[in-house]
Amino acid sequence: MTLPPVVRLVVRNFRASIDPITLLVMFGQPAFLIVILGTMFNQLIPSVGASGSYVAFLVPGMIASQMITGAVLAGRIFWLDRRWSMVEQIFSGPFRRAEYLAALLLTTLLFALVGVGIMALVALPLAGLPRISGVELGIILATIALGATFFGGLLIAIGGRIRSANLYFTIQSLLQYFLIFISTVYYPVTAKTPLVLRAVVYANPLTYAANTVRDAFTHTFGPGDLTAGSVLAALAAVTFCLAILSFRRLEFGPVQ
Amino acid sequence: MARDRTVIVQASNLGFAYRPGQFAVRGLNFELYRGEVFGLLGRNGAGKTTTVRLLTTLLPPTEGGGTLFGKALASCGRAERARLGVVLQSESLDFVSVEENLRLYAFLWGVPREVAKSRSEEMLELFELGPMRARKPWALSGGERRRFQVARELMHDMELLFLDEPTVGLDALTRSRILDYLAERARRGLTIVFTTHILHEADRLCDRIGVMRDGRLLTIGSPAEIKRTYGRLRSVEVGFERELAEPEASELGALLAREGEEYSLLERRGDLLLFRAGNAESLVAEVVRWSAGRGIELERIAVSEATLEDAFVHLVSEARGPTVPLAGEGP
Repeated sequence: MTLPPVVRLVVRNFRASIDPITLLVMFGQPAFLIVILGTMFNQLIPSVGASGSYVAFLVPGMIASQMITGAVLAGRIFWLDRRWSMVEQIFSGPFRRAEYLAALLLTTLLFALVGVGIMALVALPLAGLPRISGVELGIILATIALGATFFGGLLIAIGGRIRSANLYFTIQSLLQYFLIFISTVYYPVTAKTPLVLRAVVYANPLTYAANTVRDAFTHTFGPGDLTAGSVLAALAAVTFCLAILSFRRLEFGPVQ
Repeated sequence: MARDRTVIVQASNLGFAYRPGQFAVRGLNFELYRGEVFGLLGRNGAGKTTTVRLLTTLLPPTEGGGTLFGKALASCGRAERARLGVVLQSESLDFVSVEENLRLYAFLWGVPREVAKSRSEEMLELFELGPMRARKPWALSGGERRRFQVARELMHDMELLFLDEPTVGLDALTRSRILDYLAERARRGLTIVFTTHILHEADRLCDRIGVMRDGRLLTIGSPAEIKRTYGRLRSVEVGFERELAEPEASELGALLAREGEEYSLLERRGDLLLFRAGNAESLVAEVVRWSAGRGIELERIAVSEATLEDAFVHLVSEARGPTVPLAGEGP
């Protein structure tokens, strides 16, 4: 029996793009940060709001940041497919552009979810087993899915318009660091946070995702999270449309 | 050789403009038949690759249209593309080993695992890629990568195969093996469209050839028709009973030059002279007259047909009007 085209493309994405070094860089770095940053800052920071310890604060943030890890992988696959003409090769075969795009976003999501699992496992000895309900788990996964769609769509839309590898990977790296560091992944935003920084942090969709995941961990999920989820869903829809637009206008030919 | 008159591809005033008024190809009209090997020739930038992209539905026509397996190009989708094989001019590869690339590509096309396994072995052997099966494609030489591209495309079944310069960078022996294989597949019903700059390759493999220049199709016909119609210079080999002395050779050369015809002496080897001539009959007549007058016996005169290269150069270098149709009987 032949698998559906999207499934075949997702399997191909994983088989063609996942190697030990990629896995080490993409998952090893955040895992390393949970262990080292969490342990070291735990000594300095006695408690952070409802989370309690700094490690317990950091873990949901790192889990939320996996949506960026997944999106970066999808962006990388797309870029390499363009660079090595696989996009053109695949489109000349029995696949629709929408299927290729759906497969990329599904790869983003699956990779992000694998990342979530790894971060949870790494955090287990440091922060213990979080007692979250099925609803809270659903909220976490839905948030990750929306965030992965948002960031995946954004990087695909950018990747479809830029022909220079240097420019694309520079934008991707800057975006990645900017989004992670100017968000609530590593630190909380309080009344003491300078107003400008606070404004930038709250303009970052990752902040809403990190806050929602954190609230699910601390059982403090509230109406603000619903609003945040709605905003994230709207943004994900926008970047998804941008990615479709970018695909429709995709020019074939060599990229450098 | 007539095989099958089923039309696989049809182009009707087909054109594509990257920007309004800037046409990459324009006014293409032709039909391709099942089992035919069709060659697209032209200088760099003539529009061959754009034509391939239009016919493989990678680009939508901006003018005219056409059909692929009887369906309008603009509305072709998965079902039609599933019957195509496309070897692009640009290298396409996945970041896994050569063997894994072949298997992965077969998987993408839904080829059953067992079939993919045996076919990958067949392709690795046919394209002499066995020793490098574990290497990554980018670690291969240019010629090996080209072999890999063709081998990978042949992992799945197809009815129409597009090859955009498939033999670039290949040595003569490998080229010959690949062409033999493709000719055999064509005999079994595969329709092949390929672009090349190696003209004797097209001469050998193609049932028909289309010559493009500046985005337009100048002519379509069998290699023999094109050579006969557009080839101007033929080779004439003249063998005398003995080697000509220097004054005799000079005299003959001066005589031919005086005639004002397009003659050139390519080679002088012992008692043999090899000419290129625009009017071979006139040259032969002159040589026969001269040798009779000098009492030198002629032992051999051989006139060979114009080469495809000569016809091609003549066609694309001259300012010509729109399409010059030949009989273009097809297969």
